[in-house]
Amino acid sequence: MRLWMRWKPIRVRLMLLLAVVGPGIITANVDNDAGGITTYSVAGASFGNTLLWMLPLVAVALIIVQEMSARLGVATGKGLADLIRESMGVRATAVIIGIVVVANLANTVSEFAGVAASMEIFGVSKYIAVPLAGIAVWLLIVKANYKVVERVFLIASAIYLAYIASGFMAQPDWGTVAKDFVTPRFPLQLGYVTIFVTAIGTTIAPWMQFYQQASIVDKGIKPSDYAYERIDVVVGSVFAVVVAGFIIIACSSTIHAAGKEIQSAKDAALALEPLAGKYASVLFALGLLNASVFSAAILPLSTAYVVCEAFGWESGVDRSFSQAPIFFGTYTALIVLGAGIILLPIPSLVQAMMASQTLNGVVLPIILIVMLRLINDRRLMGDFVNGRILNIISWFVVIVLIVLTILLIVLGGLEALRNWSPGVFPA
Amino acid sequence: MPYISQLLGRPIVDVDGVKFGTLRDIFAATRADRTHPEAVALLVRCGSGERIIPVSEAAVLVAQTIPLTKSAAEVSEYRPGEQDIRLERDVLDKQIIDIDGVRVVRVNDLELTRIHGGYYIANVDVSSRGLMRRLLPSGWMRLFPEPIHGKPQSGIISWENVELLAGGQPMRLKVPGKRIADLHPADLAEIISDLSKPESDHLLQTLDASTVADTLEEVEPDFQASLLENMTDDKVADVLEEMAPDEAADLLGELPAERSQELLKLMHREEADGVRRLLTFPEDSAGGLMNTEFFSVPPGLTAGETIARLRRTAHEAETIYYIYATGPDGKLAGVFSLRELVLSDPQQPVSAFMHKRVVSVLLDARQDAIAQAVSKYNLLALPVVDEQGRIQGIVTADDALDKIIPTAWKRKLPRLYH
Repeated sequence: MRLWMRWKPIRVRLMLLLAVVGPGIITANVDNDAGGITTYSVAGASFGNTLLWMLPLVAVALIIVQEMSARLGVATGKGLADLIRESMGVRATAVIIGIVVVANLANTVSEFAGVAASMEIFGVSKYIAVPLAGIAVWLLIVKANYKVVERVFLIASAIYLAYIASGFMAQPDWGTVAKDFVTPRFPLQLGYVTIFVTAIGTTIAPWMQFYQQASIVDKGIKPSDYAYERIDVVVGSVFAVVVAGFIIIACSSTIHAAGKEIQSAKDAALALEPLAGKYASVLFALGLLNASVFSAAILPLSTAYVVCEAFGWESGVDRSFSQAPIFFGTYTALIVLGAGIILLPIPSLVQAMMASQTLNGVVLPIILIVMLRLINDRRLMGDFVNGRILNIISWFVVIVLIVLTILLIVLGGLEALRNWSPGVFPA
Repeated sequence: MPYISQLLGRPIVDVDGVKFGTLRDIFAATRADRTHPEAVALLVRCGSGERIIPVSEAAVLVAQTIPLTKSAAEVSEYRPGEQDIRLERDVLDKQIIDIDGVRVVRVNDLELTRIHGGYYIANVDVSSRGLMRRLLPSGWMRLFPEPIHGKPQSGIISWENVELLAGGQPMRLKVPGKRIADLHPADLAEIISDLSKPESDHLLQTLDASTVADTLEEVEPDFQASLLENMTDDKVADVLEEMAPDEAADLLGELPAERSQELLKLMHREEADGVRRLLTFPEDSAGGLMNTEFFSVPPGLTAGETIARLRRTAHEAETIYYIYATGPDGKLAGVFSLRELVLSDPQQPVSAFMHKRVVSVLLDARQDAIAQAVSKYNLLALPVVDEQGRIQGIVTADDALDKIIPTAWKRKLPRLYH
């Protein structure tokens, strides 16, 4: 066999891989949104490297969940909301979609908080930045070509690589970092449990499952090409977690090492100082702005599609408002509410960005249970149903998430009790 | 009349009043000669098992408690056949095509009707009212006033006017693609763009090559290419033959080179040659936009002969409103309109009334130049000539303007997030 003959099948396979690649990697990048960057930054700044040990586990969980979502899309050719409605009936759909809408609204709020926080670094008031961003985002989707927007965003998201560089240039003690990766620690404190759930919620956000599955359906990836899509998903997930790890390391070896805390986005920018010096805050602000604006556009759009898909209303940005009133109504309402809430006098933008991610973590097990039910339906999936081991690991993840949520509620309740003193209230 | 959502879950008792089970689903038989499927069997959950019993075993179907005519032990078993669909599992909550409304909608409920003792599916309810009925406890529906009887309601579609989607499931279409095929190609294209990939693939499979060709001509080439991805090469070749050569060339230009070569080999020689030639021109030049199927006559032919020839041979031509006169060397000598032809004396040669100054463009003309010429001279089509002035093809006004003015289909992007 001549060399070129050997090369041909490899080339064909490479071409196939490149044709399929996309949904997984894009979703993973969208994952590092305002809430994500902030959560990892705060995790590193407040808890040093003590959360690193969870990352390999989170990566495994992320790969499993994203892989299931991809498989659902490839095998059925339908979106997640579509499948929920078709297999679970109207009432269950209404409850699940309702929860998703609330969580997505919270995430949209967090994206606009990201816009406000990043523009504050440039000295622009949120009362100017946020309404402008809201209008820009609305026009972006309704008037512009999404494909172009997506490409611009993806190129701009290379800014995340800055964290990897900065993490190295901060010169942490790699021996201790390696040790932190393999040393599980789990202090039963409200702060730690909260950041734990938040980190999971931001990495494996419920809305990502809807988004990725829709992208896969949209791309029309065939079951025969599924093996390639799996590579896409794994690469994307690993990249997302590696970036998360370096954000934590960079923040830990700069902010945490200096004994500071993240009060505002400006503080979080310190993590990029080893790389960018005095331009750290500009670099950070641009990265945060890029991530926030793109996700602020995607989230309301994804939500509008999910709602219309589930209830059979007309949807599509190419429709007119009178043809698809609920689609555009949902889309617009999410942007207006998301931007509007940030314009209220809220004490901390950092808190606003993180709270939604905690909610993600709490909602995640519900979405996972739904996905597990769908993916084990042989009528729907055929031979693409979950294997036994995958089911065991998935259910383990679900149980861990539920336990964490209960823990969060219990610790939160205890904390509230401790702070409660009868004397505060007049008799 | 009752809705299926109200019947499902109701208890079933045998002739002695002993609980038999609860209604889980209804089987309905679809038959080519009937517009509405008839309910034939009930899927009943009995304890931990399920039984399928003929509808005839029930004394009445529409009752708070459904009584059977026999005792539990005597109830017969029903074997679902090829033509039976399960209403709850296969239709409820699924997407269907509303043929009159030309849209893809989701089934919120199904309305049954009783005719000569049999139960038939009368209507598909896709309205918000249907959604509410499913969502809210039954008492709450009183909040939503019943629509006035006899008035046509929006969101209630007669079963005759819907087409089920096969999706991934091996479900048979009611009358495979019959009513769908009668739709205007532009409407069909719109429906297809609303469907998910497997569903549109399946729908295209049920259509014949000429319908597929007409439909594809309504969508953008890159979307065309994605629709043909899963079609067999033989069928694609048939479709390409049915398409106008310029459209076929555009489509082949979107496909991977290897596949388009493969497809050209499968096409009829004559059609393939025409398309191959078009493929050699850049996509946005006159050569790439033009259609090679035009109608031309020698200038000496009389008007009467021209009309006769037109009748015989012009079926393939994209437009016959303009007729070109070409000399023996193929040079463009003149043009006249169908109107001029019909209104002139049948004995007159066409050279007597044709326009000798013909506006034409060269093969490498840019599309905006063509569009400008078309709009400046108010033409329906523009001849394309080579360096020697020989006519090579025509660019119709819609093709010329299509590239300049974004049409609805221009903006028609893949379904999600675009």
